Amino acid sequence: MRTFLSTLLQSAALGIALCTGCLAAPFVPQSDTEVVERLPQRIGTVEQRRQQREARERLRQQPAQLPLALQLAREALARARQLGDPRELGQAQASLAPWWSLDNPPPAVRLLRATVKQSQHDFTAALSDLNALLQAGSAAPVAVQAQAELTRASVLQVTGRWALATQGCERLAGPRYAALGDAVQLPAQACLAELSSLQGHADQAEQRLRQLAQRSGADNTWLTLVRAELAERRGDDSAQRLYREALQTPTPDVYTLAAYADWLLERGRHAEVITLLAGRDDADALLLRLAIAHQRNHDALADTAAATLAARFDAAALRGDRSHGREQARFELELRGNAAAALTHAQANWAVQKEPADALVLVRAATAAHRPEAAEPVWRLMRESGWQDARLQATPTPARAKS
Amino acid sequence: MNTLLRSAFLACVLLPLLAQAHKPSDAYLQLQVQGSHIEQRFDIALRDLERDLALDANDNGQLEWGEVHTRWNDIAQTAQQGLSLTADGQACTPGPLGSPQLDEHSDGRYAVLMRRWACPADIRQLDVGYTLFAQTDPTHRGIAHVQHGAQSDTAVLVPTAASHRFEVAAGDGPPTGFAGFVLEGMHHILIGTDHILFLLALLLPAVLVRTKRNGWQAAPQLRPVLLDVLRVVTAFTVAHSITLALAAFDVVNPPSRWVESIIAASVVLAALNNLYPVICEGRWKLTFVFGLVHGFGFASALKDIGLTKAGLALPLFGFNLGVELGQLAIVAIFFAVVWTLRDTRLYRGAGLRAGSVAITLLALGWLVERAFDIKLPLIS
Repeated sequence: MRTFLSTLLQSAALGIALCTGCLAAPFVPQSDTEVVERLPQRIGTVEQRRQQREARERLRQQPAQLPLALQLAREALARARQLGDPRELGQAQASLAPWWSLDNPPPAVRLLRATVKQSQHDFTAALSDLNALLQAGSAAPVAVQAQAELTRASVLQVTGRWALATQGCERLAGPRYAALGDAVQLPAQACLAELSSLQGHADQAEQRLRQLAQRSGADNTWLTLVRAELAERRGDDSAQRLYREALQTPTPDVYTLAAYADWLLERGRHAEVITLLAGRDDADALLLRLAIAHQRNHDALADTAAATLAARFDAAALRGDRSHGREQARFELELRGNAAAALTHAQANWAVQKEPADALVLVRAATAAHRPEAAEPVWRLMRESGWQDARLQATPTPARAKS
Repeated sequence: MNTLLRSAFLACVLLPLLAQAHKPSDAYLQLQVQGSHIEQRFDIALRDLERDLALDANDNGQLEWGEVHTRWNDIAQTAQQGLSLTADGQACTPGPLGSPQLDEHSDGRYAVLMRRWACPADIRQLDVGYTLFAQTDPTHRGIAHVQHGAQSDTAVLVPTAASHRFEVAAGDGPPTGFAGFVLEGMHHILIGTDHILFLLALLLPAVLVRTKRNGWQAAPQLRPVLLDVLRVVTAFTVAHSITLALAAFDVVNPPSRWVESIIAASVVLAALNNLYPVICEGRWKLTFVFGLVHGFGFASALKDIGLTKAGLALPLFGFNLGVELGQLAIVAIFFAVVWTLRDTRLYRGAGLRAGSVAITLLALGWLVERAFDIKLPLIS
């Protein structure tokens, strides 16, 4: 009897497992005018899109046209950043196909390849290309090297190697790139300021960034975002004004929207999040914030959103994509209330990237799972670096006697 | 230079490290392997198709169903160029495409392309060549589920990479080996109550002889009885083998409702013939005629296992052999019993009559069910 029951249970489990890949029944829409898909937000005018398509077609016919390939790859990367759609990274890669797998591609291609890899969270591959561009005797033009240095600093910062990142930005601010003017000097200074803000000098950094903003003129949305994030870490209310300023563009990018949504969620202003993110739920990161807001609003839409997110995470896992750790940890923690699963994701994510948001989700998951010792790596980094964050200081810290 | 550089810089300054904000491009490929053919269901995101094919004819940022289904040929071509199936080193050929349909996935609507592929022989190793969107999005992946029998394998297919091999080993699920088909044939005759009852109705009186004066009497000698049984069984075998082969090779394909109804009628007639004998000598001729219809019935069972014309000969032979073996076993046991009982009054009276009446009534029920496509209580 027992064996029969266990066999039955096993086959039921197998049936369920097999069914994760099951497909629903297809359907035929009622009429020709029925809208079957809303295309993602599109960039540019009808005419510009037509030209883009033509350019892609020209490249498809003759793939080895480097200038055209670089142009299309840059455009695709810009769209990827704005829309957060990884398909655009694929298009960038497709444009560079003839050079993509070369050991030693032209420097401009190598730079873009590193950028795509970085965006896909393949930090090791990105760093290897960037290091090659920057090594002594590299044939890369100085402008390409400047970009490579900045991208490299960004990767190092994200992965928690702040001393190396600082060295890179110091080189960038130095005489070698002086001829390139503010186009390089401003990001180099902003990079140094941000890194110092993480290492116990938040107040000076804030002043420095304010000066840079005045110097930079109108085109400084990116700098405004850096300032907003710093203000949030410092627990400064100017964060709201800065976030809103950074969002003053026709098509705000996914990152800025997500950052401001988080700021609002921290303050219990979930109704505003629902308004802010309306119609942007095609991006997973925004759908996550929207679902959290709906849930806190006791809104049934939360369940639908959570189910969609779960399906997308499953699909990502199926294709072997593990870059969702931060989002998945928050999904488990805040939507499903599964602290143990959240902690697993947060720890795996912390092994790869160490931004303040990564630290926050690890500490919160560890606390919820009643395993405060799991957050020790965050406290150690904070002690060693002098990094301060108002959000983390609000979290009860565990006894630090062990260290 | 400066503006260009700046825009390039903006691209990278503190690059947002928001993990893959969207679901990346996936397509879902489901392949169901049945013998030598494959049922395909291929779900491709409309958004991906829009990029390659510019489906949004009026460029309003929305795809209407008209914009999609009028371009279905292009969609089908894209899908077909992106997928090739090879079974044991030989290319399979795609059959006609099903009608345009859509389905909803977690990130939007997908075009659903269904078709059947025919491969030269029973599939043991299936190589799936996948190049969908290789030109336009190398980060695209195909999530493939290959089902064979009760098993299913999953793989993530990378466009441009070498083809992915699935082992669709013989022996699991529907039979693929010769022995499997023999077993399947035996199974079919043993559970096929209508075929068995037809044979039994014919064999019930085999151990008796009928005379005008005394009615049914026990047969005195074994030899003529055995010869009679042999003739009946052989007639049945030869007849159903002929039609089984004809139907399996798609030479004749009578509608199954007719076939099933006539099979039921044949059982009724065989049993009635015991009660009101019309044909006594040469029952094998009756058996042959109805055996032809039973063969069509076996064929539908063989097709249910998922066999088509290609590479059919051996499985057909195996299946038929199984049917004969099962049939022989039934006849042997039944004959031994009735031979022993033939001299009893019970058998000549109740056995033959009551048995034949029961068979007649049951088969009449089937006949009504099958001919009028209704379900009667108490039967089956």
